[in-house]
Amino acid sequence: MELQSSQWQHLEQIVAQAFADSARSLSQMTTGEINLLEPELSFLPLKELPGIAGGPASVVVAVYLAVKGDIHGHVVLLFKPENARGLVDLLLGHPPGTCQELDELASSALAELGNVCSSAFMNAIADRTGLEVKPTPPVVVEDMAGAILEAVVVDLYQSGDEALVVATSFNGALPGHLLLMPDTVSMARLVAALEAIR
Amino acid sequence: MIGVETEAVGLGELKVASDPSRVLVCYGLGSCVGLALYDAVARIGAMVHVVLPDSSMARGRDAPPGKYADTGVEAALAAIVKAGASRSRITARAAGGARMLSLAGSNPKLDIGARNAEAVRAALARHGITLVAEDMGGTYGRTLHLYVATGRLLVSTVGRGEREL
Repeated sequence: MELQSSQWQHLEQIVAQAFADSARSLSQMTTGEINLLEPELSFLPLKELPGIAGGPASVVVAVYLAVKGDIHGHVVLLFKPENARGLVDLLLGHPPGTCQELDELASSALAELGNVCSSAFMNAIADRTGLEVKPTPPVVVEDMAGAILEAVVVDLYQSGDEALVVATSFNGALPGHLLLMPDTVSMARLVAALEAIR
Repeated sequence: MIGVETEAVGLGELKVASDPSRVLVCYGLGSCVGLALYDAVARIGAMVHVVLPDSSMARGRDAPPGKYADTGVEAALAAIVKAGASRSRITARAAGGARMLSLAGSNPKLDIGARNAEAVRAALARHGITLVAEDMGGTYGRTLHLYVATGRLLVSTVGRGEREL
């Protein structure tokens, strides 16, 4: 996706606002402070998505939400399992190393993280572009990256080619990716809305 | 393993191999179906990574033949026969077709994994090829290894072990 530099700037501002809001909400939820490292944005072909997670057979933890409204698509938060467990400890205020498996408590903590981050993102988009977007309740899965992302890629296979990938790191130590994957029509709508921002 | 060379079969791809050192692999199958064809006498294998059930879903774009169940089965059969397999000896095994992200209240008709599995079974039946073993459905990912030398087909999962088909 080719964005003009002004559109790119608006997109970066949306992401920065979303991440600042996410960090604030997450810090309020937990006892400690949570910050998100300055996000890095890129567009990636759908086929290359498993690569950012170490390849299609590598195990990842994903938080998945579908997006509806003016933009149709998918949002996926993607973590290496050890980083997902580290995040769970951070979110629950447990000492590092407490979380050993993705049990119900860990899954609900990550689902909440997905809720917070995606809502912040949707709000930032609405604030700046006027596009109304709503995420569905999140699903948390631990499995092969290829198998998880396939579900999303298959849905977009005929109508989209690229995902917006935001790389970040929680408290500087727990890296993760936020994937925003609108269909082609929605991507065009988003780009047009970015264009219209003054 | 020494002397073994893996060859990945990506989304929508079809690979045929007769070199006994070769192992055809579908990594991280979710809703997709990995179909393995094998001729145990000629020791030739083929693998297809089926993404969608029906080529009528194509919208004018060039699609690799392995992308759809119907065209994938047809192209794989043609390719393995061309490589020297005998049609009467070809057996089929398949794995995948899972439902990875089951959203509460989502429409089961949109379960692309189940539709892929059904479409692969139907296409094989149309061509008179026996599906001798399958491991389809569920809510988890699978990786498939087809060892060309022996025809061994290994299904591996995360946390659910390995099994041979």
